[in-house]
Amino acid sequence: MERILTRNIDKPEALTIAGYEGAGGYQALRKAVTSMTPDAVTEEVKKSGLRGRGGAGFPCGLKWSFMPKEVDPKRPHYFLINADESEPGTFKDRLLMEKDPHLVLEGSLIGAFAIRAKAVYIYIRGEFVYGAHVLDRAVAEAYAKGYAGKNILGSSWSCDLIVHRGAGAYICGEETALMSSLEGNRGYPRLKPPFPAASGVWACPTTINNVETVANVPFIIERGADWFQSVGKAPKNTGPKLYCLSGHVKRPGVYEAPLGLPMRELIYELGGGMLSEDRPLKAVIPGGSSVPVLRAEECDVDLDFDSLAAKGTMLGSAGLMVMDTGTCMVAAMARIAHFYHHESCGQCTPCREGCGWLERVLNRIEGGTGKQDDLDLLLSVSNNIIGNTICALGDAAAMPAISFVTKFKDEFKHHIDHKSCLSGTVQLQGVR
Amino acid sequence: MPKVTIDGMEMEVAAGQTILQAALARGREVPHYCYHPGLSIAGNCRMCLVEVEKAPKLVIGCYTPVADGMIVHTASPKVIQARAAMMEFFLINHPLDCPICDQAGECRLQEYAVEHGTGVSRYTEPKLALSKAVDIGEHVMLDQERCIQCSRCIRFCDEVTKTGELGFFERGERSQIGIFPGKRLNNNYSGNVVDICPVGALTLKEFRFATRVWYLKNTPTVCGGCARGCNVMAAVGKQNTMMTTRGQQDDRVKRIVARVNESVNGHWICDVGRLSYEREQGATRLSGPHIGGVAASYDDAVAAASTVLSTGAKAGKLGVIASPRTVCEDLYAWGELTALMGGATLGVRSLIQGEDDNILLRADKGANSKGAAWIFGERASEADVLAAVAAGKVTTLLVLGDTLDPNDTATAPAGVSVVYVGPFVSGPAATAAVAIPSASWSEADGTYVNFEGRAQRVRRCHLPLHDARPGWRIAADLAQAGGLAMPAFTSAADVLAALAKRPGPFEGVSVEAMGLLGMPASAPAGA
Repeated sequence: MERILTRNIDKPEALTIAGYEGAGGYQALRKAVTSMTPDAVTEEVKKSGLRGRGGAGFPCGLKWSFMPKEVDPKRPHYFLINADESEPGTFKDRLLMEKDPHLVLEGSLIGAFAIRAKAVYIYIRGEFVYGAHVLDRAVAEAYAKGYAGKNILGSSWSCDLIVHRGAGAYICGEETALMSSLEGNRGYPRLKPPFPAASGVWACPTTINNVETVANVPFIIERGADWFQSVGKAPKNTGPKLYCLSGHVKRPGVYEAPLGLPMRELIYELGGGMLSEDRPLKAVIPGGSSVPVLRAEECDVDLDFDSLAAKGTMLGSAGLMVMDTGTCMVAAMARIAHFYHHESCGQCTPCREGCGWLERVLNRIEGGTGKQDDLDLLLSVSNNIIGNTICALGDAAAMPAISFVTKFKDEFKHHIDHKSCLSGTVQLQGVR
Repeated sequence: MPKVTIDGMEMEVAAGQTILQAALARGREVPHYCYHPGLSIAGNCRMCLVEVEKAPKLVIGCYTPVADGMIVHTASPKVIQARAAMMEFFLINHPLDCPICDQAGECRLQEYAVEHGTGVSRYTEPKLALSKAVDIGEHVMLDQERCIQCSRCIRFCDEVTKTGELGFFERGERSQIGIFPGKRLNNNYSGNVVDICPVGALTLKEFRFATRVWYLKNTPTVCGGCARGCNVMAAVGKQNTMMTTRGQQDDRVKRIVARVNESVNGHWICDVGRLSYEREQGATRLSGPHIGGVAASYDDAVAAASTVLSTGAKAGKLGVIASPRTVCEDLYAWGELTALMGGATLGVRSLIQGEDDNILLRADKGANSKGAAWIFGERASEADVLAAVAAGKVTTLLVLGDTLDPNDTATAPAGVSVVYVGPFVSGPAATAAVAIPSASWSEADGTYVNFEGRAQRVRRCHLPLHDARPGWRIAADLAQAGGLAMPAFTSAADVLAALAKRPGPFEGVSVEAMGLLGMPASAPAGA
């Protein structure tokens, strides 16, 4: 297919504004600002069916339409770009920001125009030092060319662009925690409602979108909602998508394809197949580490929001982690649990206490000192976390645990019963 | 008003009320840790999860406003299961300190573990080890292991005192409450974080390891520290003397905590008031009556005092200086007595120290300044009496000593004949012609009128030390000794009833009407 989002990633000249403009860049922003109303932009995005690429898949245009139509001068609107890409197995936003920063800026500015924002804050993951540097340079160029700042493209609309670096917390990718962090407070998720469109950052109406989501917007404005609908699986899973392929495949990396790409096509054709011929596919985590795992026989599925939901999992951030038969699923789950234990913010009880508990039990099973009750315990603790927390991090830790334990029960039981690993590759000595 | 159904009870609830508030108002206990009516909503403990029909998952009662037609279950199987789960989570890293923990016996964690927990823990891993005794302020110690991270203390310092000393440090289960570098929790309200801590994480240094709370007898009373009149609960040790190493010392005030009264102090008290009992309980008491420095019997002292005072009154040269912490009953009784003797120049000491702090603490440290002004007259001042002494118009002085702080008592000028009635060896106690010990703040019932004109009841928390008696009783005894026609009062309530019969602000004031929270009395017309 035609490369859309990734059209510039192997063109170093796109890093400069001249190169980006040369490839047709900033025409969509010009079109939106000079010939469309904010509501018309929102309407077009709504019609396109663009769904959020951050994980939840919420319709983008609908989210924009929640913003007040009039701006109260005392409560300006803010547009936040969630560039705190931290979900294990996900590395698509980083690619866009590092290779095509102006696409991210153009999409952000169009979104900001649509919601009548006073400023765009790009909250970038603290570890993305290079990405922040590239974005900073691009922002300076955009200001110099009049795409940002006062009276953008001669219009009456002014909007600032600010790149804000996070300090290294996964939780700050949660939208309300991101706002707390941006305000200078501890990165704690907030109770909802109020939702951001009513009261977001600095208690002002706020819209927050993922980097990849806004990267789609220039194309929707330029080519129209109907074109966007023609890519992918209309009506609800439209547009191009970046898939992050990692794990036991020959060619891991970011692949662009229309939403609805069959998973086997991604793994065996684009990804070049399994890493080792004698170790076939065992399992795939399809949407970043927080979504339920799929067994090999469940992998005949299209990679889009609704097809994966029908399989009891999620597209999430489209971070596919491919595991072959040499993988110890206990070790894999223990590693995932370690991540959530480490990243739980500690604000609410179930997640704060439960994530560490899960990890410790998993480590024990992995290390060969598991007890017969431990599998029931894991399920029970997970179920006690799910739905009882302030934000989705608790669910993100518990959902994979439930899926791993139920779908690979034999492996977990083998660890407990025989103090050895069914996959035969992991020696049971100590725990990480 | 929205109509909601909580556990089958239909109720109309004011819009904006939360499920938790509505349930509590109707006597349905919804367990909670982080929710505190005097602070913002944090919603982090997840203990108040309740089931709302048609909601996809359990919601927290403390944050969810009631909506018309809402059907809430606070004790459904799902809710009970979730509470048990939360209790298990709270306890996995909570130390088994109860046998040595000051909070034991009044600990929400203990209470809810019994009520809502399963009784067993499935957690077999080692518990987190954190600091057990972090000295965070002049009065407060922090045990990070016991903390359940409800954030009440942080919110208190952010929202009430606005001093922001406390915060969360680290992340996840390693997160701890702590004090910011270079700061100390030394604001004048720091003790409240101990009161609101639902567990034993924050303890008051003055109360740490002092006693078990089940050995305390709590008396609802009113702080004598300043003119605010904060409602407090004074706790007195009630261990049998045989069980304590300090003998009868146990029958003392061990601590003071805030008592909720939205009309006066809300949920808080200041540290000065919280620790006011230390001055009272630690001071040297007047151990018995004496005449001219020689110990005497009570009856002899009363007779002598009666003679001294009535002689002065008959000569028209009697003055009275009362502490503004003297309760209304005493002031009334002494006022009546001196009037029957022939009148006196009345004066009230002024205890203005510092400034109002815009939270609770008042510059006027006279807990009953208003009541004294109403009884002795708005212009009755110590300065006038002293001026009268200097001018030779007063040669006999009755000094009513401070009931709380020995340092706040009047010092009588030389050359006057003094009758001192007070609890402490202070002011003119040692040199007085006659000195009679009276009950201190925590030893007698009485009435304070705070700076807003609210009459509130001070209660006896423990028996008076030595031979001390309430001031009104001493006044009545003097009247009897002098053959004066004063009613034979048998209780402070009697005295108050007599005071309330007099036209003026005390009309309608009675023990029953004041109840636990006091009542607004009105200033005399023209005052």
